[in-house]
Amino acid sequence: MGTVEIRNVRKSYGSHAVMHGVSVTIPDGEFVALVGPSGCGKSTLLRMIAGLEDITDGEIAIEGRVVNDVAPKDRDIAMVFQNYALYPHMSVRENMGFALKLRGMPKAQIEERVQVAAQILNLQSLLERKPRALSGGQRQRVAMGRAIVRDPTVFLFDEPLSNLDAKLRVQVRSELKQLHQRLGTTTVYVTHDQIEAMTLADRIVVMNSGQVEQIGPPLDLYDRPANLFVAAFIGSPPMNFIEGQANADGTGLHLANGTSLPLPTGAKAPSGRAVTLGIRPEHLDVAQTGWPATVLVIEPTGSETQINAQLGDIPLRILIRGRTDIRPGDTIHLDAPAKHVHLFDTHTGRRIESQFPGD
Amino acid sequence: MSALLSPIKKRRKPRIGRYVRIISGVFACLVFLFPVFWMVLTSFKMPRDIFTTPPTFIFAPTLETYTSYFFHADVPRRMFNTVIVAFGAGLVSIFAGAMAGYALARIKLRGAATIGVLILLSRGVPPIALAVPMFLVARNLGLLDQHITLILAYCTFLIPYVMWLMRGFFKALPAELEEAALLDGCTRMGAFFRIIVPISMPGLISTLIFSVILAWEELLFALVLTNRNASTIPVAIAGIAGDTVNGANWGALTAVGTLTVIPVVIFALIVQKWLIQGLADGATKG
Repeated sequence: MGTVEIRNVRKSYGSHAVMHGVSVTIPDGEFVALVGPSGCGKSTLLRMIAGLEDITDGEIAIEGRVVNDVAPKDRDIAMVFQNYALYPHMSVRENMGFALKLRGMPKAQIEERVQVAAQILNLQSLLERKPRALSGGQRQRVAMGRAIVRDPTVFLFDEPLSNLDAKLRVQVRSELKQLHQRLGTTTVYVTHDQIEAMTLADRIVVMNSGQVEQIGPPLDLYDRPANLFVAAFIGSPPMNFIEGQANADGTGLHLANGTSLPLPTGAKAPSGRAVTLGIRPEHLDVAQTGWPATVLVIEPTGSETQINAQLGDIPLRILIRGRTDIRPGDTIHLDAPAKHVHLFDTHTGRRIESQFPGD
Repeated sequence: MSALLSPIKKRRKPRIGRYVRIISGVFACLVFLFPVFWMVLTSFKMPRDIFTTPPTFIFAPTLETYTSYFFHADVPRRMFNTVIVAFGAGLVSIFAGAMAGYALARIKLRGAATIGVLILLSRGVPPIALAVPMFLVARNLGLLDQHITLILAYCTFLIPYVMWLMRGFFKALPAELEEAALLDGCTRMGAFFRIIVPISMPGLISTLIFSVILAWEELLFALVLTNRNASTIPVAIAGIAGDTVNGANWGALTAVGTLTVIPVVIFALIVQKWLIQGLADGATKG
């Protein structure tokens, strides 16, 4: 059972606290992605699971055993580093077999395991090469191979794809997903790329400033972000936000510039409250009636077109399928289904639940 | 027009820079190597050819100074002593200094930076201030005129030197390499010897060469702490140079000097294959 339990973990460097009580339970076999902006503490948390960073307070348990004071080598975990960290003086075969050799495993058995891993990762022809004779993608695969030959309880990945070019990243991402489906090993994966997290993970932990903002399956985070931070972080292009104060009957917003904006039909905000309206670019429709906006820029990508427009002084992004005749300078009208309208308390940033019939 | 000319200008500039670099390099080599060249040349001259004015480059070479002073200056035994002492001190210093440097570079110790600076500051103490106390301690312990005494004395200035150089070298290595080793099953010490030492070979070898050279040419401690049995080559050279009865014998001086340089050059040639740079290539992202 590769369960990982992180209980109220804190981390401080001297008097500077960088993690403020993080709790996450990762069941056996789950693929969990830790995402967040730079400096949010995701890599520190991963390194604490690995034992490479001390835990100031709280507990981390692997397979039910508290590992706070257990050396990294005794935690039965394997880690793939952002820069791969291959041993430069060893061949691919030696790199992959190093951990097994240290365990005193018989040579024949090491060779067997290395061969199996090499086959999974398509590395058979590279086994005699030194890391310097490999391409970035190959090094990345060797780093994964070094992890999987050990058959560990938990895999840890620290932004493993960030040094690959865009095309290779998509390919290796798919390979990683297949690998997890095949091995079923508990995996904790750190990334700042929310697309990577969305496509790979069973559950995502969104972190910000050393705290967990939300934990949930990728589509839950996308459909029901718990707060403004998650709403802004998950989704590409990011969600549009409009701040204002709900009017008396909750069907419109008074904006800061003095104008009023009616909410999409069917949507209702708690009357009188300062709220932030969130609508994803793909949920804004160009309609006959609705909010009038001036088109600034059209960005076609073939399958989709992004329109950057201005609603009064509020910038909006609209994503439509296919192509469009709309041109910069045109005035368009925008509408959104009430079920896709997100509402947040402007002061606390928290989601305001159940305001809409379809929510 | 200027747009058309500018690429040509750009191409010419580095060319001139290249010539300047080559000429400066050749000049620097001449300045540094000429005394060595002159020493070797003089060692093959008869005494009458040494002081001719103007100096002569063409003469009948002779091995007379070598043959007469090889045993007279006790060169074989002193060479043997120098080898034992220089390599002994070099190896002990590399072993201890590299581990200390690694600890200061990587292990989170409170006050590590201060410790590092203090050890470096110890190099500021004039050797002569240490020589007399060392002599007294060695005499009281009955350790005068022994190899081990010189080796330990040399370690006092070689270990800080090695530690400081290797600290910088280890700091430049990606920390993930050791972390990967720790996760793979190594202890901190295991990671150091299995991963860090092999990939630091160029740094270790070049530091060893410098340490051996420093110990090889050391005179003060050798003069104070040895007498006959453990006396080294620099002591012999000092003896020839400081011969107050007959005056300095320049032929003997240059002959023994040449003999002193040869083993170090051979050693450097043997280990230079370890000095190839870029051994750590491919460890991390490419």
